[in-house]
Amino acid sequence: MANHQPQVGANGLPGAGGSGPQGQGVQGQGQPAPSQPMTQQNLNQIVIDYLIKKGYTLTEETLRRESRMVEDVARGIRPSPAYSTRKYSLAFKLLTSWVDTNLDVYKYELRRTLWPVFIYSYLDMVVQGYSKEAIDYLHLFKGNFEHQHHDVLRTLEKLSSPAQVLNDSTAKLYRDNKYRIPLNYTAYQMLLNHLELHSGGGPDVNNGSMKREDNGGQVVTYILTTYCNIQESKRGLVDKFSFEALINHAHSDSLDETDLREGIPGAFEGVSNQDMPESKVVLKLGAMAMETDLAQDVRAQLEDEDLRNPPGPGMISLVNQFDMTIKREDSEDGPSRNEIPLPPSRAHDVAMEVQKIKEHRDRLKIESRTGGVGPAVSVCMFTFHNTLDAITCIEFSDDNNLAAVGTEESYIRVWNMHGASLPSILPDTPPSSSRRLIGHSASVYGVSFSPSIEYPGSDYANSASTAPKLLLSCSSDKTIRLWSLETWTCLVVYKGHEGPVWDVRWSPFGHYFATCGWDKTVRVWGQDHISYLRMMVGHDSNVNQIAWHPNGAYVFSASDQVDKTVRMWSFTTGECVRVFSGHIEFVSALECSPNGKILASADGGGSIILWDLAKGTQIKRCRGHGKGGIWSLSFSVESTVLVSGGADGTVRLWDVEVPAEHKISDGEVIGTGGQGDATRITNSTVSGQAVATSAAKKKGKDTTITPDQILAFPTKKSPVYKTKFTRMNLVLAGGCYLPTAP
Amino acid sequence: MSKEPSTPLVWNLDNVRDVAESVGISSLSSEAVKSLAQEVEYRVGQVTMEAMRFMQAGKRAVLGTQDIAQALKVLDVEPLYGYESTRPLRYGEASLGPGQPLYYIEDEEVDFEKLINAPLPKVPRDIVMTAHWLGVEGVQPSIPQNPTTAEAKSSELVPKGPGANPYLGALAGNDNVSQKPLVRHIISKELIKYFETVVAAILSDDIDPKIVQGRLNALNSLRSEMGLHQLLPYFVQYVTHKVTMCLDDLFVLDSMMDLFDALVDNKNLYLAPYYPSMVPPVLSCMITRNLGPGNADDEIQKKYDLRNKAASLAGKMVVRIEDPNNKILERLISTFLKFFLDEEQSLATHFGALKGIFYSLTPEKKRRILTHLIEPFDKEVLTPASRRTGEKTVEVTMLIGAIVQNIESFETPIEARLVANEPEPSQAKLEKYLGPVIGSRIWIYNRPVLNKLIIKAIDEYKAYTKAQKES
Repeated sequence: MANHQPQVGANGLPGAGGSGPQGQGVQGQGQPAPSQPMTQQNLNQIVIDYLIKKGYTLTEETLRRESRMVEDVARGIRPSPAYSTRKYSLAFKLLTSWVDTNLDVYKYELRRTLWPVFIYSYLDMVVQGYSKEAIDYLHLFKGNFEHQHHDVLRTLEKLSSPAQVLNDSTAKLYRDNKYRIPLNYTAYQMLLNHLELHSGGGPDVNNGSMKREDNGGQVVTYILTTYCNIQESKRGLVDKFSFEALINHAHSDSLDETDLREGIPGAFEGVSNQDMPESKVVLKLGAMAMETDLAQDVRAQLEDEDLRNPPGPGMISLVNQFDMTIKREDSEDGPSRNEIPLPPSRAHDVAMEVQKIKEHRDRLKIESRTGGVGPAVSVCMFTFHNTLDAITCIEFSDDNNLAAVGTEESYIRVWNMHGASLPSILPDTPPSSSRRLIGHSASVYGVSFSPSIEYPGSDYANSASTAPKLLLSCSSDKTIRLWSLETWTCLVVYKGHEGPVWDVRWSPFGHYFATCGWDKTVRVWGQDHISYLRMMVGHDSNVNQIAWHPNGAYVFSASDQVDKTVRMWSFTTGECVRVFSGHIEFVSALECSPNGKILASADGGGSIILWDLAKGTQIKRCRGHGKGGIWSLSFSVESTVLVSGGADGTVRLWDVEVPAEHKISDGEVIGTGGQGDATRITNSTVSGQAVATSAAKKKGKDTTITPDQILAFPTKKSPVYKTKFTRMNLVLAGGCYLPTAP
Repeated sequence: MSKEPSTPLVWNLDNVRDVAESVGISSLSSEAVKSLAQEVEYRVGQVTMEAMRFMQAGKRAVLGTQDIAQALKVLDVEPLYGYESTRPLRYGEASLGPGQPLYYIEDEEVDFEKLINAPLPKVPRDIVMTAHWLGVEGVQPSIPQNPTTAEAKSSELVPKGPGANPYLGALAGNDNVSQKPLVRHIISKELIKYFETVVAAILSDDIDPKIVQGRLNALNSLRSEMGLHQLLPYFVQYVTHKVTMCLDDLFVLDSMMDLFDALVDNKNLYLAPYYPSMVPPVLSCMITRNLGPGNADDEIQKKYDLRNKAASLAGKMVVRIEDPNNKILERLISTFLKFFLDEEQSLATHFGALKGIFYSLTPEKKRRILTHLIEPFDKEVLTPASRRTGEKTVEVTMLIGAIVQNIESFETPIEARLVANEPEPSQAKLEKYLGPVIGSRIWIYNRPVLNKLIIKAIDEYKAYTKAQKES
């Protein structure tokens, strides 16, 4: 360690990295590189002058000594020109072969270093102007990473000149941020040791008769110290239990939760920002307390209702139900009303709360699974025909009356789900069972109904309408529009995003809404303000999905392509409070559970990840959907069952509470027993080999289905765009019939 | 480094030249053309990546012209007009010459008059919404709106693997879902019983012929049984344990060697992964300093027998193992030599080590490794020992025997031919080369060929070390 420290400094010098553009320095990009050691020296001189002036003699002396050392080492490390491209492949081969021959227990840990070393080598070569060699290098080794990093590879392999590297957003991300590698302490020591052994010794040895050849250790050390941030941790390599799983893991197709569960921030995918918050921020995940006035009104009305319709046998009274709900809310830590001001409650809020309690009592109860009995969930599917694949999104209103779709033809269309006509309060509008909302000038990518609930019926004393009155839509034309569902006209155009707006969602209590878009920002708006109230910045690429926490105090957002992280933002402060990373494809859906403790995110590769919000860790990964994207997720009222629908044309139900046991899943010979063994074992060995030989060739029909899938309902050639649990625990699904689709 | 040819650019260089010519730049250096092509390729990639976003946002599986147009727009580039189409573009092909196809977009000319007067195209059918039950209480109803079981391939939708709930599978109309035990390594009851019986039989030291027979049967069973893979680690573990615990119980040690021997004999077993764990107990039996307290004659004999047996077992393992690099052999030999040359070790240990060398190596290797070591050994160990206790003690005798055995084995017909023309050495020379004790012993054998071989080997060694020193 001790003799590595100075090297860290030395390699940190820009001079060591940009060791001269050889020959084809394009567009003068190479110029700054050689001039930088000068600057460094100047800087040192300035500092020394300052120290002398101030009379800090000891400090000055130390600085002089250390800077000399740094320069010496830097001179030693600087590679000879003929050697400068070959060293990268040497280095990578050195690392790969060492990792491969290492003890199995260390392999998993050590493989993490491969990708950063690989990609930074490539970028280095391109920046130094060796584009041809860089491409050779890339093609030689990229097979190893084809599976996990294909997005980044696709982006970066097009880079062929230093200018492109310096301008490309992805490359910039990589070069501007340090790649974090969590490593076990022992593995880290081994790595250092090995690299030292193969670094060809110091300058003295090189000049002497020994002449130890550098096998690339220096390059690896250089890359790891310059571009990476190795975080050694004292945690054990693998505990006894997960030993096999881990080995299997390294073979199997994806990295998994082992690490995340152990509390290491999963800086695995994409590039992590340095500002990654520690998962220490205390979250207020409880439900927001109800206004006291509103609670009183609701109680009075429920008592009234109890008198009129006394609860049947085995049912509890509505007031009791209400008390239970209230009590649960009090016991938890929720955000205060002061933090998130909402307009004072009105008659229709009372009606809604009353109906909520009523539905909550009368719902189909899905308690946690006991004895393996799955819930008898029913799914109602709404299929849209003759769409020509122009529909981009489907949304159902909370009162289960309206369905809205956004189209690429810039309009929104709203149907009554029961085929009834949609009334308008404007005179002279002919009744119609569907209406078009026209106003956007580009594809509509998201729609959202304001909160609503089924109409309680006219026999209530308070018969205020509980139907949704407003609809939000976002579009590629950079605007968000607010539509009235009473007049069927556009009320407001919200402008602010600089680029297509990918998603919009009402907050659970209405009034506020969140949007996200191409400009990498998440914005939260108030219905009554024409400009946004909060702008959350932090994602490294497009933000394409958004979701609210049920208490309205947090917003979740997910980013695509390079970033692939899910972030959790505090609405009140606008700060990022959690970052979840682990997806290896673009995130295609986000949803927070009604109990406010779990976040589900789904990706284009067909896996769903459940996250523990408080701890900021991954709970488990549910696999089963085919490739192409899971477009929608929804939790049951009890937060025990998750429903998902996706491009593979299936609706699937997942058990949230089954622990992730699939560590021991296929690909492993586990004793005897079980009649299906033979086939599975052969299958897995075959796929295992396929992975080993060429990662590119895999990905066929080897979708594994994790055991926590409860049910799967296939549709007839209809990709499912929307799934939703109603408050009564019925599943609504929406899709488009595309007979030509695969 | 790059033996592979540099990957060609996807973008055709001629294309760049053509475009350059079309704007009046006739001479473009090849370097510039290449750079431009690279740039074009990068930009195309960038636009495609951006267009993918629009495809994903539209929840589509096919990238369309409108996606490209949108991507160009957000990248602040003027979109390409005239390509916007919801139907796929049709490409025509023309031939410029052999193997030079030219592709173009088929753009049919439309007569304006005709277009004006043509009847209006049919209005596409309106989007309609239908509702049906995809699942009722967890079961998919078989109605026309839902796919048939054949279409859906329902078996692919059910989770497999450990922990999968068969009941849930049944609920979904799929009864025959296999379940896997969650336990890692399950050994069938029969195998466990077998293990216990075999171990018990091998360890029973009763001299009742029936029981002795049982013991032999057990060993024979181990030698030939097919399905023992599962038990292999347990046997190895058991032996290791027993040898460590009962290092003074000759019978147990002996039985354990028998057990290993039987396993090594079993051709059905793939032992390679277990060799590293099998070697230590065997080594323990060979070269441990003291095998138990007994000093009665038969016990001493038993001890030597055991060492010998273990050594031969080691030799057998070396033969059986198909280790191309001889890694295990290397390790074994270095261990043997270490113990052999360590004068601190007991004579019995030296014996064990020598036996190990004897069993594990070919004559030629033995000759190369061992011959020149014997003289110093004689001087440092044998002579002092025999002076101390007399040549007649068991230890010394056995040790000398082992050395002689090794030396004797040098001689093979092939080796004999090598030294056919050498002069026959004198006893004095032999004693000088091998040390007085061993030299005289060998001389007694009166085997000229062997003597010649020894002398030759030592001479060769001396020449070699001399050469080493000089260089």
